[in-house]
Amino acid sequence: MIPLENFLILAGILFATGLYGVLARRSAILILMSVELMLAAVSINFIAFAAYLDGEAFSGLIFALFVITVAAAEVGLALGIVLRLFRERRTSYVDAADTLKW
Amino acid sequence: MVENDAFALLAVFLIPLGTAVLLMLVPSKERSLIIALTAASSLAMFAISLYVFLTYDFGGDQFQGVKAWDYMSNVGLLGDEGIQLKVGVDGIAAAMVLLTGIVIVPGTWVSWKIQNRMKDFFILLYILTAGVFGTFVMLDMFMWFLLYETALLPMYLLIAVWGSTRKEYGAMKLMMMLLAGSILIFTAIFAIYAEAGLGTFDMVDLYDVGFDEDFQKLYFPMVAVGCGILAAMFPFHSWSPDGHASAPTAVSMLHAGVLMKLGAFGIIRLGFQMMPEGGAFWAPALMLVGITAALYGAISALRQTDMKLMTGFSSVSHMGYVMLGLGTMNVIGWTGAVLQMFAHGVMTALFFLLIGAMYDQSHNRDIPNFSGMAKQMPIWTVFFVIAGLASLGLPGMSGFVAEVHIFIGTFRVYPVIGGLAVLTAAITATYLLRMFSQAFFGEFNPRWSELKEITIAERAGATVLAGTILFLGLWPSPWVDRISTTIAQTIPGVTL
Amino acid sequence: MEEVWILPAIPFVVFLVLGLLGRFLPRNGDGLAVLGMAAVVVLVGFVLADFQGSFVDDLFHPAAGANTYAFDWINIGDGFFIIEFSTYVDAVTMVMLPVVSFVALMVLVYSIGYMRGEQRYGWYFSALSLFVAAMLLLVVSGNLLQLYLAWEGVGLASYLLIGFYWERQSAAEAAKKAFITTRIGDVGLLIGIILLWRATGTFDIQDIIHAAESGGIGETYLTVAMIFLFAGAAGKSAQFPLHVWLPDAMEGPTPVSALIHAATMVVAGVYLVARMLPVYNEVLIARDIVLYTGLLTAFMAATMGLVATDIKRVLAFSTISQLGFMFVALGVGALTAAMFHLLTHAFFKSLLFLGSGSVIHATEQQEVGHLGGLRKKMPITAITFTIGSLALAGIPIFAGFWSKDEILHDLQKDGPLWAYGVLAATAGLTAIYTTRLVLLTFFGEPKDQHAYDHAHESPPIMTAPLAILATLATVSGLIAFKGVGETLGFVGGIGEFVVAHGEPHIFEIDWVFAGSATATAVAGIVIGFMYWGGDARRSIAARNWAPELHQLFARRYYMDELYQAFINNVVLGAARVVAWFDKRVVNETGVDGGTQLIGFLGHRLKFLQTGRIPNYALGMALGVAALAIVAIGTT
Repeated sequence: MIPLENFLILAGILFATGLYGVLARRSAILILMSVELMLAAVSINFIAFAAYLDGEAFSGLIFALFVITVAAAEVGLALGIVLRLFRERRTSYVDAADTLKW
Repeated sequence: MVENDAFALLAVFLIPLGTAVLLMLVPSKERSLIIALTAASSLAMFAISLYVFLTYDFGGDQFQGVKAWDYMSNVGLLGDEGIQLKVGVDGIAAAMVLLTGIVIVPGTWVSWKIQNRMKDFFILLYILTAGVFGTFVMLDMFMWFLLYETALLPMYLLIAVWGSTRKEYGAMKLMMMLLAGSILIFTAIFAIYAEAGLGTFDMVDLYDVGFDEDFQKLYFPMVAVGCGILAAMFPFHSWSPDGHASAPTAVSMLHAGVLMKLGAFGIIRLGFQMMPEGGAFWAPALMLVGITAALYGAISALRQTDMKLMTGFSSVSHMGYVMLGLGTMNVIGWTGAVLQMFAHGVMTALFFLLIGAMYDQSHNRDIPNFSGMAKQMPIWTVFFVIAGLASLGLPGMSGFVAEVHIFIGTFRVYPVIGGLAVLTAAITATYLLRMFSQAFFGEFNPRWSELKEITIAERAGATVLAGTILFLGLWPSPWVDRISTTIAQTIPGVTL
Repeated sequence: MEEVWILPAIPFVVFLVLGLLGRFLPRNGDGLAVLGMAAVVVLVGFVLADFQGSFVDDLFHPAAGANTYAFDWINIGDGFFIIEFSTYVDAVTMVMLPVVSFVALMVLVYSIGYMRGEQRYGWYFSALSLFVAAMLLLVVSGNLLQLYLAWEGVGLASYLLIGFYWERQSAAEAAKKAFITTRIGDVGLLIGIILLWRATGTFDIQDIIHAAESGGIGETYLTVAMIFLFAGAAGKSAQFPLHVWLPDAMEGPTPVSALIHAATMVVAGVYLVARMLPVYNEVLIARDIVLYTGLLTAFMAATMGLVATDIKRVLAFSTISQLGFMFVALGVGALTAAMFHLLTHAFFKSLLFLGSGSVIHATEQQEVGHLGGLRKKMPITAITFTIGSLALAGIPIFAGFWSKDEILHDLQKDGPLWAYGVLAATAGLTAIYTTRLVLLTFFGEPKDQHAYDHAHESPPIMTAPLAILATLATVSGLIAFKGVGETLGFVGGIGEFVVAHGEPHIFEIDWVFAGSATATAVAGIVIGFMYWGGDARRSIAARNWAPELHQLFARRYYMDELYQAFINNVVLGAARVVAWFDKRVVNETGVDGGTQLIGFLGHRLKFLQTGRIPNYALGMALGVAALAIVAIGTT
């Protein structure tokens, strides 16, 4: 069996990559993709723990399913917003949408 | 007062609430219908409040007409009697209910000439009135606070929309300061609830708890300051002159006449009755604050030229007497304090009514601009002089009855402070008579020859208030009997 | 005698009726006012007879007063704190009642003529009735708080009537000054009353007197209380340093000055001290203060009267001075002399004021510089005025002589010699200024031909009261004699009627003393004739003899300026400081400052809100990291 650490390391790398993407990228699409990476990392953790800790308990798996559902919904909503943003500003860079500052 | 009179107490705050709801259904174009509705409602409130006052049996129980309806119980930390709609009055509350009933009647009458959104004005005014009545009759701490806030919040809109001069500033300042006070009260209420551990907000039950002395010493000033802000207690009085100066007539009347008394009433209900030892500990400080406010308000009023600002500072001074009376911790001083609450309410309502009646026409309140007004508006002047004489404590008027009790009560404790209090009455005479001789007497200033005598509604309202002033001044025992027996028998720590 | 409360009730009802319904009554109801007053006079006669009856049974007993309780006005703690309404009648009351009611009746009758055609005619009678009601209540009060109520009531009536011609700014100012000045005295009065209550637990005058006499109150405490009480008396009776309001009070209609500011209200202070005299006898320091205040006032006011040019103001200064005489008498414990002088003074001073009113009514002038020679045009006024002046100056037979003589006699007997000297000199000054006033008004050449031509004798409704009062000013002094008193049905002369220290005092003429007093008065009159009797150069010379002194008197010892400066600089200065403090420190620093601080912080902190999503995300990430560190650290 693949040791748990490997999954965790993979999830950690994915999460860090995602976080970096969210913080450093300007394009809304890329930020969304990074968010997806972070969610994927979380899902991997859930599944890995569920498999290793107790084969009978499904709560980790169910959580992973929820994450996927939420992620799908979120992307649908977010892409709608990005589309509006692009229509308004002719760009998908998020720093074009800073009217809500002080 | 029999048990079924609880329904009278319930009615007295459900009527204005119901009227407010009914008014929402009336189209704003139907002015005469609105007037008829408010006239009926105000008279009903007056009648019921008079009934409550007269039937209060001062030989009987402390709280009369007590009845409770469950609102929320056995939820979370709440026990069987958790939060109730519990009504009941003692002698002090009965007097305050009557005061509200007397002030709301002319307050309603003078508001009929409002042209701008009259319906909305009355809706807010009656919600406020319901809050005031409710606060006086509630015996449940939670409901008490709920209605206390109900009485405060409409104030902001009433001043900001219908006010005059610096109305946004006045409304905002008033609201901010009063809500700051509410934070303190709210904290204290939950501290009391938690400390008692009974799972109930019923004040009558809580009075018997006997809180720890350190707890009382800590939380009494919290209540006193929180409620004191509403009673314009020095140095938290700053909202009062500005708020009154910018409020519309009826709101000034209700606010200075009744709402400020809610503060003092809160100090009695939540402060002295709940935490008697804390009250006794802080009583000298209360006296000090009271005499400072009395002198400070009177001396400030000497310099004011705006009639409403002067009356506002005069209110600060008179409410200082109330604090002074409460601080004496003897029945005479306390009776004086409650009488002063009543007397000042009626008198100051009359002041604001008259100033408002004149301001509506002249759009000017600056005393130096007026001269010889007695020629143009003789009836107005007569009523104003009556209010002024009551304010300066002339015997035969309501102010004297209250003040003499406070003076004597103070003299029993600290004669020097009593002397200063008597001196304050002379300063009051000075600023009022300065205004009289400047504005009412002397050669008539023809600039005001357009002004008309006050309307019938205003005359009727002023007559009600002036009549009350003289009645209380000449025959005070209906008030004194009810108030003093309540105090002597039931306020812990207050002795003869 | 139990029903003595009816006396104030009658004019009070008249006040209400006239005040509310006056405009519907014929002639605004002046007849009703006079009728009510006449009824009071008759009833006072009954009370007097009743009182005499009880007196004969219990001869020479000072406590022959009757204390009748009407009802409890306020009762707290089942009798612990009671304010009751009660009436008390004794000899002092029995001097006051006839004086007040009779002079009031005379003044009301006179006013029908004097006030004819005035604006607010009905209001005048209404307010005057209010005054009489309060004054009668004052003199029958059995307890101090009720007395205070009536005391403020007469003050209110005085305020309303001084300000009767309120269209004149000076009248409005004078009314305000009178009310505030007396109010300052009243602060002392109320403090005194409460201090006495604090020591004895009662407001009842007789109970307080008993407590004081039995030594139940500490001496220092009692002294302080009685000094405070005297402050009220000094304010009402226009004694130094609170005398400044009375000359200005002459802005009111002249009959008002006669009734309120000469005969009745201003003697309320004398009445109060007389009423409390047994207590003052216990604390001699306080009594000495009464004595020296009275002495100083009597002298100062007489000098001011010497140079005043307004006919009513001369009389006002004279009133202040004569009130000083009464306080001097009380200051040496001479109750009889004080009440006797109060009685005679009420008659001759109201006569003088009504006479001056007749002059003013006829000429519409009240500066003596515009008068003169009026005796030909107004014979009745001239004769009655002269009679009043002789009584004031202290010429034998006339009323003032007997009572003033009593005061001087008692002062010489019980007071310091120098005080006697000062008061005797003041009596001389009185004769001088009185003579001056009469000469300048009624004798010599007319100084203002227009006013002189305009002048005419007043109608009978005004001269009749003058004649009656002139008679009384002549003969009322004779009640000092035992024989006269007995003829009238009294136990004896006034010395046996109004009894101090429980010992009746049978009046006897001390020929040497009376002679010297007469000589002083005559000398004063002669000096008056010398300077003002014809040759105007002499009076100018008198003025120029010592211009500084003249200036000092004419400017009333600069007291008014002093007070004005005090009010402007100290009182209003303090008000300015407090108002500044309130505006700047409390409001702008405390309240607005607090909101501004919050606003400022908000202004700074808002820059954290960049609007950039990566910034928010970074904040979130850092927050999660911080929470994680905390979570790990705690486990």
